[in-house]
Amino acid sequence: MINKKTARLAVLGGLLMFIAATAILLARQFNVGPARPAPGFRTFGPAGAVVKIEAYSDYACGACRAAEGKLEEMLKVYPGGIRLTLKHYPLTNIHPWSLDAAAYADCAGEQGKFKDYAARLFEGQEKWGEAKVRPAEFEAYARELKLDWAQIQSCAASTQTRQRIKLETAEADLKGVNATPTFFINGKRAVGPGQLLERIRKLDKLLENRNKPSGECPEK
Amino acid sequence: MNSKINIRDAAGLLARLAVGGVFVYAGAIKLLAPAEEFAYAIETYKVTGPALSLWAAYIMPWLELFTGLLLAAGIFTRFNAALCGVLLLFFEALLGQAWLRGLPVTSCGCFGSGSSNSIGYEFAQNLVFLALTYLAYRRGGLFSADAALGDKA
Repeated sequence: MINKKTARLAVLGGLLMFIAATAILLARQFNVGPARPAPGFRTFGPAGAVVKIEAYSDYACGACRAAEGKLEEMLKVYPGGIRLTLKHYPLTNIHPWSLDAAAYADCAGEQGKFKDYAARLFEGQEKWGEAKVRPAEFEAYARELKLDWAQIQSCAASTQTRQRIKLETAEADLKGVNATPTFFINGKRAVGPGQLLERIRKLDKLLENRNKPSGECPEK
Repeated sequence: MNSKINIRDAAGLLARLAVGGVFVYAGAIKLLAPAEEFAYAIETYKVTGPALSLWAAYIMPWLELFTGLLLAAGIFTRFNAALCGVLLLFFEALLGQAWLRGLPVTSCGCFGSGSSNSIGYEFAQNLVFLALTYLAYRRGGLFSADAALGDKA
């Protein structure tokens, strides 16, 4: 039988644990934030898709490059089942050119080449990611894709573009994002390509049943 | 009753508060961030897969928070100091294997997944915490709930 002193200590300990848990759970409530719409060129797949993925990434992050490949594959395997929205979350404290890269990618998107420009940014991230001076790659990629570089520069410097990226970053902060890549798959969080695949694997059946580009699937 | 405080007991109290405080901080900072981020840090140690890492990320911060809190308050002091010691040894084993394997662990996950020192630094820091935990285990009874309630557990 438990003696009185041990019981008192257990009650005291339990009380402290309860107070701490309540404080933590209340504090966590502040991490929920509203979703902002992304531009059309960063959204892929039908609006009625059963699986909606929101991806926060940074063009200088290695894991984001790996995840980008997985997302591409998923869109090919389940063309009608996934709606992907790409969002910027440049980790400017460790990747000095990430914010610029995100701005250039958006501006390339306004000239219809978002995906191609973003793919080049990921491929060349080791060259420009930690450069000491402004990387020449940004211009080189634009020229390779026959984009109007002068227009991209003015667009990337505009308040509108910068503000859009900053608001996306703030939105991510509110959701408690502080690592890249972070995904919200039907609202559930996954960090890194491993967790992304794990979550999608769990939704495999749902995706296979609905994997029709027309989105016409029998309701169950 | 002896009103003089023994220097060893005072050191034990400080060690108990330091280790308890570190555990409370480490647990709370992880609990205030999404578990998936800590799970991602655990994955980089290449010991567990994504699913198990996520479970570990859900459980470990609560364990750290509660153990640290009980140790700092001096409730079941010896048991909680021993538990802290076991957890620190476990963290050392994880860090050590990553160090030996030369794994690119950019965030150790020790105090959240946002920032981190080198593996070597974290390993050395944990050794200091281990020494303090031992002191708390041996002499951590001063001003503890255990002592206040008459149980030197």
